[in-house]
Amino acid sequence: MPATALTVKDLTKDYITKSETVHALRGVSFEVPEGDYVAIMGPSGSGKSTLLNLIGCLDKPTTGDLLLGEDNIFYMSDNQLSDVRASRIGFVFQSYNLIAQLSVVENIQVPLYYQGKLNRQTYRRCVELAGLVGLGDRLDHRPTQLSGGQQQRVAIARSLVNDPYYILADESTGNLDTKTTEEILTLYERLNDEGKTIIMVTHEDDVAMRTKRVIRLRDGLIVSDEINHDRLRFTDKETGEVIPENSWEILELNASEAKKAVAEEVDSVAESTAFEVDEDNLTLGG
Amino acid sequence: MALFKSSYQTAQLGIKSLLLHPMRSMLTVLGIFIGVASVIWLLAIGEGISQQAQRQIEALGAQNIIVRSIKPQKIDGILAEYGLTQTDFELIKETVPQIANAVPIREVAFGFSYDATNVDGRLVGSTPSYYEATNLEIDRGRFLSGSDVAKHRDYCVLAHDVAKKMFPYQDPLGKSIRLKDRSDLFEVIGVLKPRGTSAGIGGSLAAEDYTKDVYIPFTTFNTRMGKEIFRSVGGSFGGEKVELHQATFRVSKIDEVMPAYQLIRDSLRHHNEEQDISIVVPLELLEQAKNTRLMFMVFMSVIAGVSLVVGGIGIMNIMLATVTERTREIGVRRALGARQSAIIRQFLVETITLSVVGGLVGIAAGLLGPMMVTLGRGILYKYFPEQMAGLPPEIQSMTPQIVDISIPISFGIAVAVGTIFGIYPAIKAAKMDPIEALRHE
Ligand SMILES: Nc1ncnc2c1ncn2[C@@H]1O[C@H](COP(=O)(O)OP(=O)(O)O)[C@@H](O)[C@H]1O
Ligand SMILES: [Mg+2]
Repeated sequence: MPATALTVKDLTKDYITKSETVHALRGVSFEVPEGDYVAIMGPSGSGKSTLLNLIGCLDKPTTGDLLLGEDNIFYMSDNQLSDVRASRIGFVFQSYNLIAQLSVVENIQVPLYYQGKLNRQTYRRCVELAGLVGLGDRLDHRPTQLSGGQQQRVAIARSLVNDPYYILADESTGNLDTKTTEEILTLYERLNDEGKTIIMVTHEDDVAMRTKRVIRLRDGLIVSDEINHDRLRFTDKETGEVIPENSWEILELNASEAKKAVAEEVDSVAESTAFEVDEDNLTLGG
Repeated sequence: MALFKSSYQTAQLGIKSLLLHPMRSMLTVLGIFIGVASVIWLLAIGEGISQQAQRQIEALGAQNIIVRSIKPQKIDGILAEYGLTQTDFELIKETVPQIANAVPIREVAFGFSYDATNVDGRLVGSTPSYYEATNLEIDRGRFLSGSDVAKHRDYCVLAHDVAKKMFPYQDPLGKSIRLKDRSDLFEVIGVLKPRGTSAGIGGSLAAEDYTKDVYIPFTTFNTRMGKEIFRSVGGSFGGEKVELHQATFRVSKIDEVMPAYQLIRDSLRHHNEEQDISIVVPLELLEQAKNTRLMFMVFMSVIAGVSLVVGGIGIMNIMLATVTERTREIGVRRALGARQSAIIRQFLVETITLSVVGGLVGIAAGLLGPMMVTLGRGILYKYFPEQMAGLPPEIQSMTPQIVDISIPISFGIAVAVGTIFGIYPAIKAAKMDPIEALRHE
């Protein structure tokens, strides 16, 4: 796997409707190195879903580059995008999205199926993954026989099966109660400690605070990109050693620009002010 | 190998998805099932009827030209005089060169008795050539001979049914039977093999029913019955003067039938006004029957085709509903890396599975068809004997004949219908925007 899982450069996305053109993203740039754990936040309408769809290779940008490792999705066909999703991205959705007619282990197998990689070895791996998320004894259960938290753990196992560049989690704790949310977040932390790269969209601060890095969007632009200093730890892949801090070039560059905007953001998380910045109320540090 | 494996898994997945809604899948299959079964049934029934008609016509003899006397509508008075004359017969026999064999026939319905046994039948006066011209077969004894005719012998040959009814426990040969209410006695010299009815001649005439016949020499008939036959029918007394009830002319080669027919028709032109005769050419009937069969097949195929198309529309309808219902699943599969072609394949496999299952069950039901016709008819005979006896003989005795090619054809069409009508919903599913699909409730 490349050292940089994802590179986003000057990304824009316009939605052209009959009446108007919506500039959902207006030039977004960041990099996600391998092993990072990022939360994307922002008020409603700020472009989180649009960005997530692009990162998930479900949609193509209007302009700009989006590189998975070295490969730019801008130049990919629909089939190539499908193959990238099957082999390099792990999805975890808010509403679990397991396939009802399939058992736990079969659900975990789905991405392999579309890569033509179903065989005895990969089956064993699926069973292992089910065990990893604590459902080793439920292999033949149907999704309807599982609780929400259990279903989401199956979804996480499914997202891991193709050994993706990154796991993309969209409000993946949004439907869960506090206790189950805690379990899932612990699972993410464990996976991240083992070196998995995770990018999540959330609007809950306490969920975002558990990640290593928070990117805040507003009106299609990044307003802040901050390291969560108390959560920051990296695992050295060779030694398995947990490294508590790292220096991020991209953060250095962005930090000064973002500083002011961060302050605004903290004050105006409320939806009502989502589209307007109140210039008079600028305070530093919230 | 990999392809085989993946299509096996696709099929497995398709079946799983179908089993998620077993009732719905069954109802979907019903259309194809009925379509396939009805193709096989209808063709089998059509084939049964036409084979029977063909057998009956062939029994009339493809080389024969039959002239029958018909009682005209307008005749009244006590004595009805009509029909083919001895002069007509002799003229045709002498002047039409193709004729190899000419058989005169006179007949009258009569009761026969032996001891206390009475049987209703038909007294037929004819010559030995009658035997060949009608393809009868002797069971025991012999048929009438030339000398029997020449010497006006009081001999008779019994149809199988008559013999069985009159002599249930005895050997009929050598016994003498009596005409009911008369003193004429005829010695039985032969018994025929069983023989079914042949096709009705010319529509206006009843089917030739060989089962009730008692054959005597033509000359004996004339001397015993005279030229005019008087008898009371249904309370009113009446007589008829008919020199010949039927003449059967046989040519030696099939392609002489039509030329001979033209000549015979010309010789009998003078009957046109009375319309008291009818000329039947079994060969022509045979051709007609073949055409009718073809038309019937086309007609049945159209009906069956329509029912299969209806079945196909049923499948399409269900699949469109399924696609809408499973929009989210499609979105998830696309997100997890399914190409559009994989989605198309997934839904096509489902429709093809449905139509294959429908086709197979339809074939099974189709093959059971003839058995069920026989069974059903048996039950009807048991509970409604009179009504069943009134049905045309075609229906009473018809056995459906499974047409071999109807099985692969109907199955092939079923699968084709499933595929064709499945393509649109499958493409619709594949073309869905994965983002929209994922957002679908
Ligand atoms: N398919 C679309 N067509 C038109 N406008 C869209 C579409 N999707 C999103 N938008 C618009 O783009 C902007 C960003 O939306 P979105 O990415 O969904 O924001 P968020 O997820 O942060 O709420 C919004 O103004 C939204 O109305
Ligand atoms: Mg959104």
